[in-house]
Formats: sequence, structure tokens, C-alpha cells
Amino acid sequence: MGEKIVYAIIAVFIMLNYGFLVNGVIRRIYARVGRRIGVPIYQMYIDLFKSWGLRTNIRHGTMFYLGPIFRLTGGIGLFLFMPAVYGLALFTNFSFSGDLLLLLSFQFFGTLGMALGASESGHPNSAIGVTRGLAQMTAVEVPFILAIMAVAIQYDSLSLTEIIAQQQGGFLNWTLFTNPLATAAALLAMLGAMMRAPFDVVLAPQEIPIGPPTEYHSNYMVFLQSNRAIFPLAKSILFMNLFFGGATTIVMMLVKTFILLMWPVLVGVSFPRFRVEQSIRWFLRVPMIIGLLGIAYVHFFLK
Amino acid sequence: MVSPFYILIVGLGLGFLLGMTGKKQAALTNMLTLFAMAFFTGVSLHWIQGLYTGAFQPSMVFSAGFKPPFSISLFLGMHEAVISLMINVLGLISVWYFREFLLRDSKPLGAVLLVMFMGLNMLVFTRDLFNIFVFLEITAISMSGIILMNDNHHAHAAGFKYLLASSLISAFYLLGAVLIYFSTGSLYLDDILTMKSAFAPMALIAVFLMVIAIVIELKPFPANGWALDVYEAAHPGIGAIVSGAVTTTMLFLLNKILVLGSDKIYLLTASVGALTFLFSNWMGLQQKNPNRLLGYSSIGQVGLVLAILGMKPVLGDGVEMIGFGVLLTHFLAKAGLFWLSGTVKGSSLESWAILRNNPVILTIFGIFVFALSAFPPFPSFYAKWELIIGLSGTGNYLLIALILLGSLFEVIYLFRWFGIVVKAESEESDSGIEWGKAAGPALFALALLAGGYFARNYLSAPDMMNFIPLVAVVVLWVLDFMPAWAKNTLLLAMVGIYSWFYLPQYSDYQLIFGIIFMAGAVLTLLYGYSEKGKRPGFYPLTAMMFAGLIMLVEATTLFGFFFAWEVMTAGSYFLILRGKKSQPHALSYMLFSFGGALLILAGFAMAHAVTGLWTLDALVMDSPLSPVIFIMLTLGFLTKTAAIGLHIWLPGAHSEAEADVSPMVSGILLKAGVYGLIVLFMRMGTQYIGGVDLMVILSWVGILSALIGNLMAAMQEDMKRLLAYSSVGQLGYILFGLSMMSNLGWLLAISGAIMHFLYKTMLFQAVGGVYSRTHDRMMYRMGGLIFRMPMTFIVVLIGIIALSGVPPLSGFAGKWLSFNAVLQKEYYLQGALAVLAGAVAFLYLFRLIHAPFLGQLKDNLRKVKEASLWILLPQYLVIAVIMAVSTVPGLLLERIGKLLAKTFPDGGLLWVDSKIPFGARTAISEYGYWNGTYVMLVTIGIFGILLIVQLLMQRNNKKVGQFNIVYSGERPSTPETTHHAYNFYAHYSKALGFLMVPLAERFWTWISERVHDIAHQLRQLYNGNGQVYLMHIMFFFLVCYFLINGGF
Repeated sequence: MGEKIVYAIIAVFIMLNYGFLVNGVIRRIYARVGRRIGVPIYQMYIDLFKSWGLRTNIRHGTMFYLGPIFRLTGGIGLFLFMPAVYGLALFTNFSFSGDLLLLLSFQFFGTLGMALGASESGHPNSAIGVTRGLAQMTAVEVPFILAIMAVAIQYDSLSLTEIIAQQQGGFLNWTLFTNPLATAAALLAMLGAMMRAPFDVVLAPQEIPIGPPTEYHSNYMVFLQSNRAIFPLAKSILFMNLFFGGATTIVMMLVKTFILLMWPVLVGVSFPRFRVEQSIRWFLRVPMIIGLLGIAYVHFFLK
Repeated sequence: MVSPFYILIVGLGLGFLLGMTGKKQAALTNMLTLFAMAFFTGVSLHWIQGLYTGAFQPSMVFSAGFKPPFSISLFLGMHEAVISLMINVLGLISVWYFREFLLRDSKPLGAVLLVMFMGLNMLVFTRDLFNIFVFLEITAISMSGIILMNDNHHAHAAGFKYLLASSLISAFYLLGAVLIYFSTGSLYLDDILTMKSAFAPMALIAVFLMVIAIVIELKPFPANGWALDVYEAAHPGIGAIVSGAVTTTMLFLLNKILVLGSDKIYLLTASVGALTFLFSNWMGLQQKNPNRLLGYSSIGQVGLVLAILGMKPVLGDGVEMIGFGVLLTHFLAKAGLFWLSGTVKGSSLESWAILRNNPVILTIFGIFVFALSAFPPFPSFYAKWELIIGLSGTGNYLLIALILLGSLFEVIYLFRWFGIVVKAESEESDSGIEWGKAAGPALFALALLAGGYFARNYLSAPDMMNFIPLVAVVVLWVLDFMPAWAKNTLLLAMVGIYSWFYLPQYSDYQLIFGIIFMAGAVLTLLYGYSEKGKRPGFYPLTAMMFAGLIMLVEATTLFGFFFAWEVMTAGSYFLILRGKKSQPHALSYMLFSFGGALLILAGFAMAHAVTGLWTLDALVMDSPLSPVIFIMLTLGFLTKTAAIGLHIWLPGAHSEAEADVSPMVSGILLKAGVYGLIVLFMRMGTQYIGGVDLMVILSWVGILSALIGNLMAAMQEDMKRLLAYSSVGQLGYILFGLSMMSNLGWLLAISGAIMHFLYKTMLFQAVGGVYSRTHDRMMYRMGGLIFRMPMTFIVVLIGIIALSGVPPLSGFAGKWLSFNAVLQKEYYLQGALAVLAGAVAFLYLFRLIHAPFLGQLKDNLRKVKEASLWILLPQYLVIAVIMAVSTVPGLLLERIGKLLAKTFPDGGLLWVDSKIPFGARTAISEYGYWNGTYVMLVTIGIFGILLIVQLLMQRNNKKVGQFNIVYSGERPSTPETTHHAYNFYAHYSKALGFLMVPLAERFWTWISERVHDIAHQLRQLYNGNGQVYLMHIMFFFLVCYFLINGGF
């Protein structure tokens, strides 16, 4: 067990730093699309130290204080409950604790804690952001779960390790190719979970200055930014494992997750923002239908 | 041995004598009348005693030494003695009741009363057809005399109509008697009976004429307008006599003469009775005048007895006891209610609200209403059971439907009235009850209870029931004068002692639900210590509900189950009704419950008819009827679990109930429905109709309940309504789980039931605690309470994390099980909706914690204190349980799994040891795996490390004041405008509002309006015109004649 804990700490350390760098790259891409030069890719480190160095450090109450801790626990936990690299002890993490469903549910641990913390600040923008986020989340879940269900039926398993194992032996075995409909539904759902346009109404910087985290600063910000580094990565590892054959080496994992992270970026820089009700309707139409077709496909053709 | 002739002699003699007394001898008249009635009663009692001990034999007495047909022949057996006792006791009380008139008025009321009761007695005793005519005339004339004595023109008109109707009735009867004499040469009933097999056609017509005359006397639909006017216009004391004594006599008389009739006549009587029962109660729905309402109810009940008597050729001699059960209830309750009516001034239902100023009178009123509605332990309850069992055994489903529908209508207006009496604004404040006038009702209420006790002996089903839980009800009723804390302790102790002795005897599902009910009682009673004062009536009713629940899990027979179900329904109805604004919601709860109970009764009866068993195993069957039985029982239980479509009673009932009643009726009571479904599904299994798997339909009902319930919860501003809708959703999940009929499905359902019990008990108590301090339920009007009520906040926090299914708390087990079960069962579409419903649950849960506890503290709440210790204690007990089963899920799931393996051997979870001790085992399903302990440890580990990091990183962390936020340089000092809480999910309802259209509510409103419209239209029949009423009678007569003798 001790060994596992050490491995986990190393893995988290690697992923955090990788996440910071990837986020730097993404910010640069956004800048370039907007015809700006943008920040250096190590900007995240500068931000972290700047936040930490702030002299003002206040709290609105206990939940406010704990919010970012919940948030980051959610991000790190999601990562740690999942095997990130197939067959490598270092990145197997605590995946023996539970299967795919644990991951699906645990991703809300941070969301919920953060929502509570943000609400205690008493800032109306935080509350508005939270209601938007929760409302949108419910709709995003539907196509995502349909895709997951299709995968579970296809591989007769909810165990990620088992699902990765069945995709080994050539890229044609990836779910992407064996069940493209489920993959499509999941990728569309992924857009809704990445806080990028057209589904970034939660943070909506021009409307409700960044929404839930409005009141957070200094070391709280350090936590939130760390989460913003690791959480999307953890999510893309999940997608990689489910649909893109997982990874057998660390490098492969890093490359695949990077590519996956580019998908919401690509969409994000190209589209304007949806209102909440628009995104709810959108997710419950095309992606949901694709998801249902994915299940029908698995049920009738693959079984 | 006192000859029954003395009644004739005393009645007639004294009657004539009293007619000659003047106003000055009023006191003497009164005294003599009273003595005479007491003498009548004494004769009846004397005979009952003699016949019971065997000192007398049932015997025939002839007048003046002649034999029939030249003498008056009186027969006195046990039946006659009992009926005459009923009449005479009523007469005695009536004289007492009328004593003011007797003393005040010069009119010879006493004399007329005496003559009339003498006539009634003779009608009961006589076996001579001509005698019957004579006494019919005597009673009719004296009756109209009594009615006419009232000093208002309505009464005069009613008396005249009565006279008109009576003369028609007498004419029919006399014609019949003449024809029978012509055809058989005798008027002596026993002689004629011997000739029955060789009746000439004329004799058949004669019997028809006599029967129809008495049937019309019993006020059948639609030939009963005259009687309704009498009930409405005459003094309530007269109503009591007509409804109680006259009706009882006529029913007895009818039963005597019906023996002469053919099966066709019986069938006609049964049909007329059933239709009268249905339509009279139906029209009663629109009635606003209490006396006329009682009239409708009387006519309805008599119709029911008619229907029962008419079923004799089908059901055998047992019908007499059944009919007597209904009649006795009607007799006691209706007379009692009419007498109570005399103590109420004003002629609206609302004016009866005055009764509640006196708890004893209110109890008496409640006993009458519940007895008329056939709740246990009253005679009518047993009669209803026997009747439906009997009818179902002979396949008379149409009649069952008519009777059940009629009794549902009756319950609607009776309970609407009861609710008004208990709750409506009372115009007068003084108690205004004359104890003298209340003595009769009190005596009759006691007689009803006693009657119920004896009625048990006539039950055909074995009732192996443990009545000990009901003792608690009685004890607490007697001790109701004590302070609340004492009664609370007493009830707690009783629950404790009972569970100590009985819980170890339970097994399987019984044990699980037994624990829920008893632990639930303890948790909710602990909360009860926070209440001050006496809380009159609360504890016996609570005990009644829990007694019902406990008897329900202990029930092994169909009857025991139904008995317990009704006791529980009655108790919970009272509890809900106690809420300040709960009157309409309690009514709708009662109606749905009663409707459900009727379906359960009918289902049980049919199951018994199919299998012949009395135990619950009667439900194990393979018959073409089984899908029908299955649907009826399922619908019955689903009214209790508030499945979508049948849920409209729940939000109001749960939210308007008192603070500690809400957790009882939500966390605990709903489980009765779940238990019922389990009992049913275990025995009947999966059923098909036309190849359609009914379980699949139920799975959709369940999942739609979950989705719609959760959506509705998210849209509520009232925190108790939010929790109430959340129950609809949660129970939907449980139904969904059960409908899968698989190991994992049931594991989901049963663990879900336990968890729902824990969460809802805790959350309703937390919300109750908030209400106890803020006196508000609207969440947006609160805010920032975390600073004032942190302990309550923690409870809600744990509650919402657990309920939302976020690991590491126990709610995740439900999500995991649900997904696995869905995959196993291939219910993909329902599974997807289940996930959507689960996500929507986040919305309402977040709202529940955000709006009251987080955000900006309102000015008026700055001095609010934490909820009291007694309110918090049970909540923290629940938290301890939740944390334990969250950390080691096997504690609960593995045990339930073992039990389920008996029912569903395949597809269960496999539990394997993990590296951690303390029994932390990994659950392995066909698809995945999960170890709750690991999840808990890893989560706590990460959280702990991060907390330490944060503590190390921070410098000078300061808590700031309320309005210190980044707000465009402003300082928002009005919390009302800064706290974003009202209409929190406006965007959501914009997107998915179409799912939240209250279709069910509209549907039931539509039904209710149509039913009332029809009642209104039917009522137009009675336009108050005596000639029209005579036309009705003639029309009724002709239709019956043609039906019997052909011609159509």
C-alpha cells in the first residue's frame, strides 16, 4: 500500500506539471486565433506564485474555505481512481477502489464542494454561475452516460482496466472504430464538460466575472488553478481509456490526452456561447440521439 | 316472561291517554312517555336475556286465543328481540332528546312518539300480512304527525310529501296483501311460506307488490325525493328516528317478506339497492346542507343493506349478518350524527366546526365518520370485508365495482365534512354543546366500538393478528391529559419494549421493514421532545399509525394485512390533518388511500376466490384472473408510494404536516407501499397482459416518477414541498428497482428504501428545525443560516451529498447498483432516464442547501438560534448510521444480498475480502466492482493532505464581514437583492418546462369536476315538488314491474 501511495504522489506531480504546461499552450492557441501573441507557456507557474504571494487572504466562512479543497480533491481523486497507463504500476493508481461508475459519480465531488464554497461567499455571480453549471451538467450527462452504457454493453464490463485490455492489439480495436456512434456521443458530451465555448456560460467572463470562483483569490486560486490543470487531463484520460485504446506508455498517454484536449479547444475557438437553455436543448437532441443509436448499434449488431 | 303484547297495550293505551292531557301536565306526560319507552326497552332486554340464557324459547304469541288468520300473531326470536332493542333504545333516547319540546309544547308529541314506536315494534314482531299493513299505516300517520308538528313551512311541506308517499306505499302493499289472500287463502306468513313452491302467477305479483312497497318505503333511487326533503326540513331528532328506527324496522320487515319472493325479486332488490347506494352517495358530493347530506348518506347506506339482502340467493344466509353489520353501523352512526346536528346551530357544513371546541364530541363525530366509511374496528369494516369476499367468490364483479365506487363517493363527502369540522374557521367560539343532547351520541359511539369487538366473531377469515400494538393507542388515548413529554416517553418506552420482544421474532423482509418502522418511531419521537404543551390527540394517533405499520409487517393473512393497512391509513390521515393548512391535502391523501385500499380489498377478495386461501400465499396463483388482480393490487400500493399520476396528494400532505409528522409520513409511511409491493411481487411474480410484461410498464412508471418528481422538486421555493417531491422521485427509483425482478434490482430497491428512510427522516427534521426558528418555509426568504445554525447545516450537507449519490457517501451505492442492474436487465432507455433523473437531483439538493444556508444572511434572521438539542439528536444518530454504511457498505448490502439470494439466486453481488481489515470487502458484480472503504479512505486521504497544504500555505487568513465582496466597488447592504435564490432554475424550466406541466393534477381535477357535474345534474331530479316525487314513485314502480314481469 505504501508503494502505491508513493506512486500516486509521483503520478499526481507529473500530471499537475503537465497540465500547467498544456494549459499554457492552450492559452497561447486562443491568443493566436485572436491574433494576439499570448502568454509564455510557463505562464501558469507565474500565476500560481503570484496568487500565492498575494498579501490579502480572507475567508467568508468554513465552506468557502473548504471549497477549493473539495474541488481539487475531486480532480486528483478522479485521476487517482483510474488507471492512466495500462499495465504500468506507476500509473495504475487506486483503480482497484471502483469501476467506471465510481469515476462518473466522483467527478461531481469537486463540483458540489466548490458550488457550496462559492455559494457561501454570498456573491450573486457565484450563485448564478453555479445554477448555470448544474443545469448544464444535467443535460451533458445524458449523451455521456449513453455512450458509457454502449461501451459497457460492448465490453461486458464496467472495469476500465478490462475495457482498455479489450481494445489492445491495433488501433482498429479502439472503440472509436468499433463503435463510432458511442464515441461521437461521448466526444460531443465532452464539449460540455470542458468549460469552453459554446458551453462556457458557467464562467462567462464578460457577464458574471468568472462565475463561481469570483470571490476566490491567493492560495484558493492556487488550488483552483491546479484543479484546472489536472481535471481536464483526468477527463481526457477517461476518454482515452474508453474510446481511444488507452495508453501503454507514459508518452503515449501524454500525446493522446493532448490531442483529446485540443478537441474542445478547436470547437471553443470557433463558436460563440450558448445560453443555458440552448445548451440543454442541444445536448438532449443531436448528441442524445447519437448516443441512443450507439446503444442500439451495440445491442443489435455487436452482441 | 313478559309478552310482547304489553308493548302494544302500553303503547296504544298510554298514547290515547296522553292525548288527553293538557299543557299543565307536561311534566307528567314527559315522565310517562319516558317510562313507557323504558318499558319497551326493558321488554326487549328481558327477551334478549331470556333467549340468550335459554330461559325462553323463540316463540309465537297469538292474540285472544285465536289462531291465524283471525288473530294478531307475534313472533319473538333473537333477531326480533335485537332489532326491537335497537328501535326502543333509539326511542328512549329520542324521548330524552325531545324532552324540551315535550315540556314546552302543548302538542301531544309524546303520545305520537309512543304510538309510532309501538307500531315499529309490532312491525318487527308480527307475522301477519294484514297486521303489517295496519302497523305500516299507524307508523306512517304518526310519523307524518311528528314531522308536521315542527313550526316551519318546509317541515309542513315535507310532512305532506311524506304522507303522500306513504299512502301510495300503503296502497301498493294493501293490493299485494289482498292478492295474496285471494291466491293463497291466508295472511299468515308461515302458512304462505309453505305454499311458496306452488304459487300462482297472481301470488307472484302479490309478493312483488308487497316487496316493492317496502322497498319504496326504504327510499330507493330515484323515488326518494320526499325522504330527502324530510331529512332536510324535519327536526334532526326526527331525522334520527326516520334514519335509524324506521329504516331498521323496514329492512327487517323486508327481509321477512323477501323470503316469499323469487330469485328475480331478490335480484331486483339487490340491483335497486346497489344503484341507490351509488347514486345517492354520488349526489351527496354536491350537498352543502348537513341534514340533507346525512339524508343522502342514510339513503345510500340503506341501499347497501338492500343490495346485501338481495344477494341472499347467491351468497346464502350469511348475508344477514353482513347486512346487519352495515345496518348496525348505519343505525348507530346516523342516529348519533342527527342528534349531534341538533346541537349545532346553523345549516352549513362549516357551522359544525363548533364541535371541535370539545374534544369528546369531536371524537364521537370522528367515530361516526370512520364507522360510516367502514374503517376498522367498526362492524361495517368487517361487513365490507365479508361482502366483497363473498361477492368475489361468486363472480359478481359489476356489483363489487358499483359498491366500491359508491363507498368512495361517500368517503369523499364524509371526509370533506370531517376536515371542515376539524379545520375550518369557526364562526362561533363558545362550545355551545348541550351535554344532555350529547349523551345519546356518546352512548351510540361506544356501542359502535363494542359492536366492532363482537363483529370479529362473525369473520369467516381467520384473523391471526397481534393486537398488542393497538393497546398503545388506547393507553395513550386514556392518558391524553398528560403533558407531551410524558406521553412521548411513554410511547418511546412502549416502542422500545415492543421491539425488544418482537423484533427478534421477525425475519427476512419483515425484519427490514420492522426495523425501519420501529427505528423510525424512535427517531421521530425523539424529535417530539422539542414540542411543548399537551399536544392533545397527537400521541394516540401516532401510536395508531405505527401500530398499523407494525401490524402490517406482522400480517400473515389477507385480512390481517388489510386491517393493518386501514389502521395505518386512518392514523396517518389524522396526523396529516393536524397541520395548520393541511385540510385539502389530508382529504386528497384520504381519497387516494381509500381508493387504493378498495383496490387492495377487491384484489385480495379475488385472490381468495381463486385460491381459497386466507393467508398472503393466496396471491401465489396461476389463473386467467391473476394479471387483473396484480394490476389492482399494484395500483393500490402505488397510491401509497405516490407513483407519478397517483402522487398529487403527496406534496401538499407532506409539506403541510407538522414538523415531526412530515418525517413520519415521508420517511416511514411511504415504505408501507413498498412493503406491499414486495409482498405482492414475491408471490405473484411477473405478469403479462396480451403478451405485455407488466413489469416493464412498471419500470417506466418508476423511472418517470423519478424524473418528474426530481424536476418538480427542483422548481419548488418551499423547502418542505421540495423534499416532498423528492420523495416522489426516490420512491420512483425504488419502484424501478423492484420492477426489474432481479437480485440487483431488488437490492437497489430495498437498500434504497432504507436509505430514503434515513435521508428523509433526517432532512425533514433538519428543515423542521429551521422552521422552528425562522417560522418560514420559503427558501429564498432565508440565506446565510450556516452562520446561525451550523449543526443543522452539517446535517443538510451530509444529507445532500449522500442523496445525490456522490462518493464516498452511501448514496453512491444506489447509483452503482442501479447502473449494474440496468445493464443486467438491458433496460437501457430507462437507465438513461435514471441517470438524467439522478443529475436533476443535484439541482434540487443544491438549492436546498444554497438558498437557506449559504449566501447572504437576512436581517430578520440575525438573531436566529441553532435548533434545539432534541431536534438535532435524531439527525445526528442518522448521520452516524449513514457514515457507518458509507464506510463499510457491506454492512447493509451484503446482508440484504443474502436475503435476496433466497428469492433471486442468480445475478447477485459477490463480496470478496480486500487487504483492509474490519470487514471492508469489495463488491463484485457481473460488470464491475466497488470497494466503499477504499473510496472513503482515498478521498479522506487526498482531502486531508490538501487541507494540510492549504493550512501551511495560508498567511493571515481572516474572516471578513457579510457584505465584503467584490461588487463593482459597491457594498451591497441589502441581502434581499444580493442573495440569488428565487426562481433559481429559471433557465431550466425554460428548456424543459414541458416536462413539468401538471398533467396528473389536471387529469384528477377534470375527473373530480365531471363527477361533481354529474352529481349536480342528478340532483336536479329532486325539485321539491310533491307531485313530481309521486311521479318518481310511480315511474320507479312501473320500471320495476316491467323488469320483473317482462313487457319490455
